[in-house]
Amino acid sequence: MNVTKVFGLFAAVFAIAYTIAFEWHWELFSYHPRTGEFGWGQQASKGGPVMHWYGAIATGFLAALAVSAAALPFTKTRNLPLWLGWAVPLACIIAWGWLLRAFFLR
Amino acid sequence: MRWLPGQTTLIVKVRQGSRQAANAGVIGEDVVTTFLLIMHGLMAVALLGGLTHQAVAVLWPARSPGGFTSAYRAVSAARFTNANITFYVITFMLGAVIYPPYRIAVRTWIERARLWHISGLFEYKEQALAIGLAMLPFFWLVWRNPKDEATAGARKWTTAILCVIVWYSFIAGHIVNNVRGLFGQ
Repeated sequence: MNVTKVFGLFAAVFAIAYTIAFEWHWELFSYHPRTGEFGWGQQASKGGPVMHWYGAIATGFLAALAVSAAALPFTKTRNLPLWLGWAVPLACIIAWGWLLRAFFLR
Repeated sequence: MRWLPGQTTLIVKVRQGSRQAANAGVIGEDVVTTFLLIMHGLMAVALLGGLTHQAVAVLWPARSPGGFTSAYRAVSAARFTNANITFYVITFMLGAVIYPPYRIAVRTWIERARLWHISGLFEYKEQALAIGLAMLPFFWLVWRNPKDEATAGARKWTTAILCVIVWYSFIAGHIVNNVRGLFGQ
């Protein structure tokens, strides 16, 4: 099996899963920088800011890894479209502009 | 009765000592964070240069050797791939390490100052960079054989997207880094 054939899919699934994880609070873990504590899932504040970025990356990475591994046997007989590797991430980056619009419209 | 003042003095001295030690710890952390921030910036400059070179070479290839712009475009773009991936990963990791101090000391200040657009610039940067990080294996794949016509379109798009992400992040990071100097008066 050629692992490189799913690199495009990995990028696409990560972009989607990361975006969903952040928006729907499906972070694998949260980090409390003031106390240095980690906690599973979406955590409430413990008297300081809570960081979800690391957890969202972890969720995206695990989802991308799982889907890519599941798709690997299918790449023996067919090639995945190359646009998956750039068009889907590009669409998610553009979507983030919309999701974060509140910062710029206040 | 005589030992009480002495004990109090001792307690005060211990407290002063622990405060000095605590201050020294904070100063030490600040120095480390500043050092890492500078390293983060330097790595970003290297990445910016390499990725811009690669993007220009693939999107606007030189037809003939000539002046400065032709020479800039005439580089062997594929040779930048591994260096750019390395610089991206290092810059990203350094950014991830110095993110908590930013979250505590800078972003809270930005929010208190109600500079929402500045905070939004950084938010967008972190999302774009994370998505860009996952594109790196694909970026490597499409550059593995730069003469492959089948991957030419994906090669151009991937390189251009990463180049835009890095340029945006560099400028946004620079603005956020200077925000107190720029808007804190």
